Amino acid sequence: MSEHAMTRRSFLAGSAGVAAVAAAGGFMGFGAWQQAIAKEEEPPGRTEVVHTLCNACSSKCGYDAYVVDGKLTKLIADEAHPYAQGKICGRGYGYSQIAYSPDRLTDPLKRSADGSFEAISWDQALDEIGQKVREIVEKDGPQALAMVQDPRPSGKYYTKRFMNALGSPNVYTHGAACNLSKESGFTQAIGTGNFESDVERSKMTMFIGRSYADAIRPSSVAALQRAHENGAHIVLVDPRLSNSAAFADEWVPINPGTDLALILAMANVLIDQGLYDKAYVAANAVGFDEWAAAIAGLTPEWAAPITGIEASTIRRLATEFANAAPAASIEPSWRGAFGCSYRNSGETARALCLFNTLLGCWNQEGGALFTSGVSVGKLDPEKFPSTPKIEDAIIGSVEYPLALKSMGTNLYAAQMAKTGKIKGMFFYNSNMAAGYSNPAELASFLDRLKLMVVIDVQMSETAQLADYVLPECSFLERMELPEFVGGKTPVVTLRDQVLDVIHPNTLPSDQIFAKLAQACGVGEYFDFTVEELADAQLRTVGLSLEELREAGTIAFPEKAYSYGATPKWKTPTGKVQFASDACEKAGLPRCPVWMEPEVMPDARAGEFRLIGGKQAIHSHTQTANIEALMDITEEYGLDRAWINASVARDLGIEDGGLVVLHNELFDGPIRVKVTERLNPTAIYLPSHYGCSSKDQHTAYGVGLNVMDFVPFHIEPGYGGAMTQETVVKMQKAGE
Amino acid sequence: MTFEPIWGSIIAWYLFLAGLGGGAYVSAAFLRWRHPEAVAMIRIGRFIAPVTVVIGLCLLMFDATAGLQHPLRFALLLTNFGSVMTWGVVFLGAFTLLSLAGAGLSLAKRDVPWGLDIAAAAFGVCVAIYTGCLLGVCKTFPLWNNALLPILFLVSALSTGMAAVLVVAIVRHPEEFNRVGVFKKFHFVLPLVELLLVASLCFVTASNASPAGYESVMSLVAGEWSVVFWLLFIVVGLVGPTLLETWLLFFSPREFEESRKAHVISFASDAGVLVGGFVLRLLVLVAAVPITMVTPWL
Amino acid sequence: MARYGMLINTKKCIGCYACRTACQRQNDLLPDEAFIRFEEREEGAYPNVAVEHVPLQCMHCEDAPCASVCPTGAAHMGADGIVSVDQGRCIGCLYCMAACPYQVRSRNSQTGAVDKCRFCTVSSHENGTKMCSCVDACLTDARIFGDLDDPNSEISKAIVKEHATPLKGDLTRAKVYYVR
Repeated sequence: MSEHAMTRRSFLAGSAGVAAVAAAGGFMGFGAWQQAIAKEEEPPGRTEVVHTLCNACSSKCGYDAYVVDGKLTKLIADEAHPYAQGKICGRGYGYSQIAYSPDRLTDPLKRSADGSFEAISWDQALDEIGQKVREIVEKDGPQALAMVQDPRPSGKYYTKRFMNALGSPNVYTHGAACNLSKESGFTQAIGTGNFESDVERSKMTMFIGRSYADAIRPSSVAALQRAHENGAHIVLVDPRLSNSAAFADEWVPINPGTDLALILAMANVLIDQGLYDKAYVAANAVGFDEWAAAIAGLTPEWAAPITGIEASTIRRLATEFANAAPAASIEPSWRGAFGCSYRNSGETARALCLFNTLLGCWNQEGGALFTSGVSVGKLDPEKFPSTPKIEDAIIGSVEYPLALKSMGTNLYAAQMAKTGKIKGMFFYNSNMAAGYSNPAELASFLDRLKLMVVIDVQMSETAQLADYVLPECSFLERMELPEFVGGKTPVVTLRDQVLDVIHPNTLPSDQIFAKLAQACGVGEYFDFTVEELADAQLRTVGLSLEELREAGTIAFPEKAYSYGATPKWKTPTGKVQFASDACEKAGLPRCPVWMEPEVMPDARAGEFRLIGGKQAIHSHTQTANIEALMDITEEYGLDRAWINASVARDLGIEDGGLVVLHNELFDGPIRVKVTERLNPTAIYLPSHYGCSSKDQHTAYGVGLNVMDFVPFHIEPGYGGAMTQETVVKMQKAGE
Repeated sequence: MTFEPIWGSIIAWYLFLAGLGGGAYVSAAFLRWRHPEAVAMIRIGRFIAPVTVVIGLCLLMFDATAGLQHPLRFALLLTNFGSVMTWGVVFLGAFTLLSLAGAGLSLAKRDVPWGLDIAAAAFGVCVAIYTGCLLGVCKTFPLWNNALLPILFLVSALSTGMAAVLVVAIVRHPEEFNRVGVFKKFHFVLPLVELLLVASLCFVTASNASPAGYESVMSLVAGEWSVVFWLLFIVVGLVGPTLLETWLLFFSPREFEESRKAHVISFASDAGVLVGGFVLRLLVLVAAVPITMVTPWL
Repeated sequence: MARYGMLINTKKCIGCYACRTACQRQNDLLPDEAFIRFEEREEGAYPNVAVEHVPLQCMHCEDAPCASVCPTGAAHMGADGIVSVDQGRCIGCLYCMAACPYQVRSRNSQTGAVDKCRFCTVSSHENGTKMCSCVDACLTDARIFGDLDDPNSEISKAIVKEHATPLKGDLTRAKVYYVR
């Protein structure tokens, strides 16, 4: 542990033991022999308090970790962290135990000829990787290298710098299997990948496929609850009645994959009846008339049979929106229904922004906001030299031109591994091999690589495919670069090192990438420590590492957001684009119109659409190996597939009964939860299970992986994984 | 969330053996009263009692893992006289000491005072009733929380105690076995009483205010445990022995009753009673559904 | 003397399990040891459905069946109304688990002793926790902890205002009240 971490707030918990004895003493008063057999109170230990950022999901909430005699004890949520607001979620408490997991990676591993892994030294691992990287660069150029990473404070900096130092632009996030379509679609309409619904102050907010209560960020749950208490009309559009129902007024159980039709039909009502904000549209939009004409026939009556929602309901919702505007919006969602799920996901995202524009709600109190942020300024070029400018574009940007360059579509990169265009791939904090469609096919692509390196804390499915696995220490054992968080009041916050490194051969990501760079011959770009870089970054915003360590989270009140400003639209036209040239060029309609999903379930043939989704105690596949969390899954049968109760009655399936789900790609047995909370055209499989890595002893073999049933395909234009474009059949086990 | 029974087969063995031990000593006292000439069988009864009870107690201590790790804690068992289990410890302790004394004197061919036999038999009855009360005070389970269960366990304890004495007598002292007619007739009646008690227990429990009662009974008679219930408990444990003994006691000639063949049949019938006795304890433990799990309050 | 109790508002409960994992973490419990369990109820038929999540934990009953059946006196009620298990006295006979109508006690798989919600009596005021861990952790403030004997306490007022009652009426005179 670093010295600074030790001194932040250290004290002796001397009174603790005394209090414990006193409290437990109420029933004493027996003889001395009883004292002798009673539990001995352990002497109080030395307590240290260190600020860190949770790593259980991408929200990275802040908390103070209490360490007693070197062992992690309590987690106390950070009041100042904008996402935590004094709370952390169930995952956060559980995931902290990753540090002590018996399944941690402890040494660099190399795949042997027989497919098993052997532990090797860092020197050997780095030498061999470095040599192979140099061979690839010499023979095929740096374009033949790619990186896939799920952004983390240090990781997003170091992965990009490492690849750019090598001359490769191919740095991908997990976006293609998360929020790529949504952010790319937004960008086509409003010039930026995200916005924030002012749920708490809204009169009406509609959520499409997103559940604050299941994919938890504490501040979002609080906002939803306050909205509910303030009397906002909260509408959940979701094939599944999520746990957000506690604070919602209405569930619209839409047929999955048809959200676009709902939005278009609501827009049709607003336009048809003149209920939209005409002045706002006139001032801010281009192509409105073109879109209005294109969706003129897309009435609620048209949408009803597609969406499964009555026309009168769609009409009512549109009217309620108009009445609530501008303190109303459709919430931007994240992965949910259109982050990467369907062929029409990008178009759904586009339509959503256009609908919000009709409400004139941008930057209005209770509407949809573009909040502020703070970013790092220019660093000393001597100490932190810029990496060479790269002329090439990220691979996939031609084929999927709408995909955000900052994310890229790693699906296409994987396909290029198959063709041989990409020869070497690195994976940092990414379990692509389990979390993306058709893992079996994906594995066969990755198998063609000359070099595959995985950096992780545990033996993920992706690690199982690697040539080299490099062990990172857990998030509690490393300090990372400062994390700048935007919002109504932007802040900077720190993941400091809480625990001493537990396994001596594990390293933090900054050191791993610095060593890799050195081994690959580009070490000159990494001639600094993470502390030096962090301090330098903070000094560009008038702070220091020491200050941030002391405070944990520091706000920038001078950069606070205020309502009312007309956004500066960063689109090519400088306006909200109801029609987009770029979309047309990419082969999509200029204006978002109805686009059928790639597949639709045929109920008469016994087909259901397979949908995924988060549960509050897990994040994708990365928390499934945590004992305390998996224990909840097993105790409450959370790995079960949900099926609609009337469907179950027709098929004679009982709650808890075993069924086989099957399609042309995969079949597997699973117990069912028979529920009234699900649209009858769908089967819901939670997205966390079906771990196939035997080295994750807790997670292995529990449940099914929804991705096994999804074909490998890519959303046209946007590059998303289309993770819900699949249908399955179901039969009782043993039939 | 599914419900896992809190107590399993180890506790079932304990309840069975404790009851059997109590019943065995009652058998010895009864024999001494009505068949004083059956000296060997009296001795068998006095001997079985402490052996089975001590085995049962060992199982109990083995199941109580926290106590097993810290044996001194077992001394604390006598600190809460509001607990049925504490009373059970008193009864079991007294019964073990008294039955050991009886067995010891008996083995040493010394006279066992009548007072000792009566006291030990009385504590034997207490132990048998206690095994039912132990469960009976748990309001959580309608199958347990009724006044029939202790009586049922007492009758079953007497029945299994007598069966144990008879089984050993058939093998070791068939000549005495042939001469204890009154004893055997009493023994014959007990499974019939048990049948009535079990039927009553099922009817009363199934009508409990909580659906948990109905669920428990249904799991016995028509659900998860129905095969064990009907085959091993009702047929092997109660009806089978009753039919066999009816025939032997009332419808077969005296010569046959004393034949080796009849002894084999008697042995089978008594062994059935023993199996039924254990299965009864096991079923009562595992089939009980708590009132909290069938969501009557949700 | 205080008489502690808790209020759980199931209308605010989103079934996220944070109370359970926070309790495990802050009290340093084993991964398979949980003091809070959950029941879930669906009402209505598609598409008109309501969901209710009901967290259950030791109700700190005034008439505590666990304490009356415990043969060693390990399970007992303190002067502040908090039902405790003296880990040094428990033999692990599980009689209390059988007697508890709420099924909220669990056996420590390492020590064999029975344990359950302690209202965080020992740990609540040290190392950062201000309150029972579940109350601290609840994302929606569905839980209130306090002194039932103090007419001015938040919990006493909330019980009256929200018509909160114990889950099972007067069964054991439970001190955990529910709003449903």
